[in-house]
Amino acid sequence: MNGFFAQVRRDLALGWGGRGDMLVMLGFFLIIIALFPLALGPDPEVLRKIGVPVIWIAAMLASMAGYTRIFAEDVRVGWLDQVAISPLPLALYALAKMVVHWLLSAAPMLVITPIMAAMLYLDLGKLAAMMLALGLGMLALTLLGVMGAALTEGARNGGGLLAVLVLPLAVPILIFGALASQPQDGAVISPHLLLLLAVLTVLLALTPVITSLALAECEAEGGA
Amino acid sequence: MFDYLANPTRFMRIADRLIKPLGVLATLLLGAGLYYGLLASPADYQQGETVRIMYVHVPSAWLASFAYVGLGLCGLFYVVWRHPLADIALRAIAPVGAMFAFLTLLTGALWGKPMWGAWWVWDARLTSMLILFFFYLGVIALANGFDTPERGSRPAALLALVGMINVPIVKFSVDWWNTLHQPASLIRRDGIAIDPAMLTPLLLMLAGTHCYFAAIIFIRMKALLAERRITSLQLRTAANRPANQTGRR
Repeated sequence: MNGFFAQVRRDLALGWGGRGDMLVMLGFFLIIIALFPLALGPDPEVLRKIGVPVIWIAAMLASMAGYTRIFAEDVRVGWLDQVAISPLPLALYALAKMVVHWLLSAAPMLVITPIMAAMLYLDLGKLAAMMLALGLGMLALTLLGVMGAALTEGARNGGGLLAVLVLPLAVPILIFGALASQPQDGAVISPHLLLLLAVLTVLLALTPVITSLALAECEAEGGA
Repeated sequence: MFDYLANPTRFMRIADRLIKPLGVLATLLLGAGLYYGLLASPADYQQGETVRIMYVHVPSAWLASFAYVGLGLCGLFYVVWRHPLADIALRAIAPVGAMFAFLTLLTGALWGKPMWGAWWVWDARLTSMLILFFFYLGVIALANGFDTPERGSRPAALLALVGMINVPIVKFSVDWWNTLHQPASLIRRDGIAIDPAMLTPLLLMLAGTHCYFAAIIFIRMKALLAERRITSLQLRTAANRPANQTGRR
């Protein structure tokens, strides 16, 4: 586990060093949301009704922009080869990447989400359910996104390809997440949140392994 | 048996012998199925003539799911044993499965408009089939998304494997959720719920489409193997040429 935390620390430091990327993603998130009132007109009733789904879709699309280059630098400088011959399993290396990416991209998005909610005239007193669902949903999406990054590493047009692969897989996250964000009875813990947690659990077990299998290919190619 | 068939040359020799009979069988079955389906079977008492869309829609839907199971198994074989034939089969199946998924969605839309009054509804069966179609496209794009074709094999195999999650969702969506799409009529606990007059053409079409699928997969695998051989021959001659030229100088 020492190797795991070392990898997390390294990526956090590198990611924080390159926080310009993070700001670009936040800007993307903000712009997608701002486009809806511009297209639909500023009617508070309409915006309040579509507010939660708009925030979900904007968060999903904005995070797609962040996944593409996750492994590129590690492949280029040979870090991935070093990890492959170290005692740290590739699956744990992948998990470290997922945790760091969630902290550096999804968490800042969550921080500005209440502001986005206010822009769409959502009732700020009832945001708790959405914040919880969005946080968990973005974690699940990050697991898929990092897996997609490993699958498309080295591909031509990796970014577009990644979104096409990951978004269909993310459909259950969107469905359960959006439902859990606006519970019927106003309770924060809704059945849909539990379903979202179930999806997250499955992904947590599955995606690091798939990611490591895909990375083994990059590593073999880089070494050849 | 897998060991025996694992040799590409031997596999292709057997496939070669199967292509023609399968093609003939598919033509006969599909011909008979279309005759019974379009001319010699009764119209439905509620749906009228549009029920005949079923004879294309149901076999396509079966094949779309069945081919995805095949795709996932190829993916598994490739990831675990790195068998080149599994990769070839995966690349052969993906576009054909995508075509059947598209055909399912298309005939479903054509059937939905007169029956439900809408080309498309967002119910669980239709949505999961659409996602299955996206998975096919993803596998095709990933398999061909790299500069060296073989580099895409493992990612595509992994994605095919992950997409297997969706197959039971497509199958059981009509039981798990209240869908506008009807539940299964053929494979169900209380027996087949179709009149024999309609069952005959449906079964003929189902058998015919499966034969067609098998024949087309073997043909595509043959072509892909030939393509690979050409590429390796070209690489070999390209590698030899500069050496010869320097030798002459």
